[in-house]
Amino acid sequence: MNTFANGIHPKDNKERTRRSPITPLAAPQTVYIPLGQHVGKEAVPTVAKGDRVQMGQKIGGADGAISASVFSSVSGEVTGIEKRATATGHCMHVVIQNDGKDDEVLLPPLADPTPAQIVQRIEDCGIVGMGGAGFPTAVKLRPRDRIDTLLINAAECEPYLTCDYRIMKEKAVSFLRGARYMAQALGLSEFTVGIEDNKSDVAEELENTAKHENIAAKIVVCHTKYPQGAEKQLIYAVTGRKVRVGKLPASVGVIVQNVHTALAVCEAVELGRKSFCRVVTVSGDGARQAGNYSVRTGTLVSDVLAACGGVGDNVVKLLSGGPMMGFALSDGDVAVTKTTSGLVLLTAAEAEHEEASSCINCAACVRACPMHLMPVYIDACILSGDTAGAKKYGAMDCIECGSCAYVCPARRPLVQSIRLAKKKIRARGANK
Amino acid sequence: MKNLTVSSSPHIVQKSKTTRSIMLDVLVALAPALVMSVLLFGYHVLLNVAVCMGSCFGFELLFSLIRKKDFSRKAVKQSSCWDCSCLVTGLILALNLPRVIVVDKWNWNVYRTMPDIQGIRAADYVAFSGDTLVLCMLASLVAIVLVKLLFGGIGKNFANPAATARVFLFLAFGLTWTNTMGLGSLLSASTGATWLSSLGKPTGGQNFFWQLFIGNRGAAAVGETCMVAILLGYLYLSVKRIIDFRLPLIIIGSAAVFALLFDGLPHHLKGTALLKNMLAHCMSGGLVFGAVFMATDYSTSPNTFWGSAVFGVGIALFTMLIRAFANAPEGMSFTILIMNCVVPLIDKWMVPRPFGYTKAVKEKPKKTADSPLPYNETDKGGAKI
Repeated sequence: MNTFANGIHPKDNKERTRRSPITPLAAPQTVYIPLGQHVGKEAVPTVAKGDRVQMGQKIGGADGAISASVFSSVSGEVTGIEKRATATGHCMHVVIQNDGKDDEVLLPPLADPTPAQIVQRIEDCGIVGMGGAGFPTAVKLRPRDRIDTLLINAAECEPYLTCDYRIMKEKAVSFLRGARYMAQALGLSEFTVGIEDNKSDVAEELENTAKHENIAAKIVVCHTKYPQGAEKQLIYAVTGRKVRVGKLPASVGVIVQNVHTALAVCEAVELGRKSFCRVVTVSGDGARQAGNYSVRTGTLVSDVLAACGGVGDNVVKLLSGGPMMGFALSDGDVAVTKTTSGLVLLTAAEAEHEEASSCINCAACVRACPMHLMPVYIDACILSGDTAGAKKYGAMDCIECGSCAYVCPARRPLVQSIRLAKKKIRARGANK
Repeated sequence: MKNLTVSSSPHIVQKSKTTRSIMLDVLVALAPALVMSVLLFGYHVLLNVAVCMGSCFGFELLFSLIRKKDFSRKAVKQSSCWDCSCLVTGLILALNLPRVIVVDKWNWNVYRTMPDIQGIRAADYVAFSGDTLVLCMLASLVAIVLVKLLFGGIGKNFANPAATARVFLFLAFGLTWTNTMGLGSLLSASTGATWLSSLGKPTGGQNFFWQLFIGNRGAAAVGETCMVAILLGYLYLSVKRIIDFRLPLIIIGSAAVFALLFDGLPHHLKGTALLKNMLAHCMSGGLVFGAVFMATDYSTSPNTFWGSAVFGVGIALFTMLIRAFANAPEGMSFTILIMNCVVPLIDKWMVPRPFGYTKAVKEKPKKTADSPLPYNETDKGGAKI
């Protein structure tokens, strides 16, 4: 079966939420919409304090080539533009008091659009990659290289998360159409969906739906393994092409897009809806009502958790994203963005925290690394201050998937060391 | 929602494997070898094992307490000895020693008065050997403190502690196997001295290979005789993915090839004799035990598959060289130590190519009609005379 070399097999824990349908969550009283929800420059606020905004109205304009617009997820009055914490740092937030009217501004639907129209629409609707990185989709769809494959990343290899699975299950038609619009934008007649075999039921359904809807989709089932959903690993698993280090997937003629992005593209083209809503999986032993919820961006994490039954007392970690690559939050005072795929509440039993002991040189990390690096030496080098050594063993090529730290029997924080190494290498490069 | 932990990803770990669980698994894998050695060599083995494991544990605990200069209960709890790797070292060491070691100058032994068995003096059947127990403690001291802890503890030692301790005993105390005959109490009589130390080639009776396989081969280190027990341990470790199952296969497979090259061909063996010679080489001495339990030691073996392949072939090469040409005992222990010294070099040179790195293809300059001819070619092609 299609897969890549190395990798790990964590317990996927998807059973808890894979059968719960996507439930819309009521909009909160106040939303805090971050202007930096994507890779690249933060959007520039286009509203001021005291303005009344409608749902779907632009509140932040794209700034520069790599950026994306931000839209209001509720209707109401702007009560302030302030700097607040996000899951990974700080950025400006537009605070909107919800008036509950939900009067939405839509763009006119496009019937039979041209490629340029589709890309323009995606840009107008502020769609970014919703798998986690948040790269502006319109930029990705204007590649410089020749593209022959559009690959939809439906691997969803992170444990606990089921939002992509539910979208493919419930909104198969919209998802396939959205993917077809993206393929059209690239001038392709068909596209490929890469999916793991723990979701083989939905793979069959997708195949039938595609046939029924007359959409040229190729469904490729891959072996269930983490990190199958990492861009380069998925490209290798599905097409057998290796993306050179430091190059973009477009260099081998492939563009990878997320499932949720395809859905957003379909809604943008057919309904004219902006990107301000996303499906979030709330899961983990600490969640009282685990499930998949459709959440408006800007809703505070604490509001989301309160709306779905609250939090158990035994929670020790709150994660934005999955447990392998997600960010630990110190409190719920952080807004949901276009890239928040999950909120995972781990109990002490799940997030077993042991103190790191000394490395026993077992090379489990070397066997696990999907990038074929040697985390054990990067760790040893950077802890002894040898930045050049860390670079030699490939610290800069690390994708931070966490496979090495997951398998480490000595519980060494390898990913943390590698992040430190990257930072030091960059700092040294800047000094030179 | 109070006191949330904030830490770097990943937030989950593989719970089934910790340093301690790995070490306990190795102990479990060694259990069949221990049982068989007790059956084949008698209760002395149990005494040796108890003393070796106990003193390894004790020395590690003491070392960590003395180094920290803290003898409180908390320091005892935090000591590195609880990861159980010292117990593995102790057990492997005990299984690597003969049943009894007699030092003539001390001779704190109790001899049994028994009739001679198969030409071996009754005096050699030692009922209780004080020498052995003292030497076990000494060997543990060398293995744990000198080889492991002074180099930085678990994962930092460059040489295999058990192999070093065995070689230390061999060199310092003249460790020999002559008076270490198995009692053969439960199984049929021993086959006599191991054929490796005799110059003869395997000509033994019909059940020679069967005896080798079940381990009834007399003079040897106690743990390394029984192939069945070692095989069980190997399967356990492979299924549990504690060791890379390919490394022992590489070592034994290439040892078979080198046995053919160094021992079979020079002696003009042909046909089945050649195969028997190969098979006997593979099943005798410490080769299999060393390949499964000592060459796969984490800290003293390379970290990549191709590195460990080189390591394995090296072990097989040196073992067969020592066996075929030096005609000396201790082939496997010396070899493991030799190759342990090479491991840092292997790890330095054999780094896997990261995913997405491809070799840069050297572009040859295109030949055109007016490009100058190479100095050794004529205009009709071919070499200039």
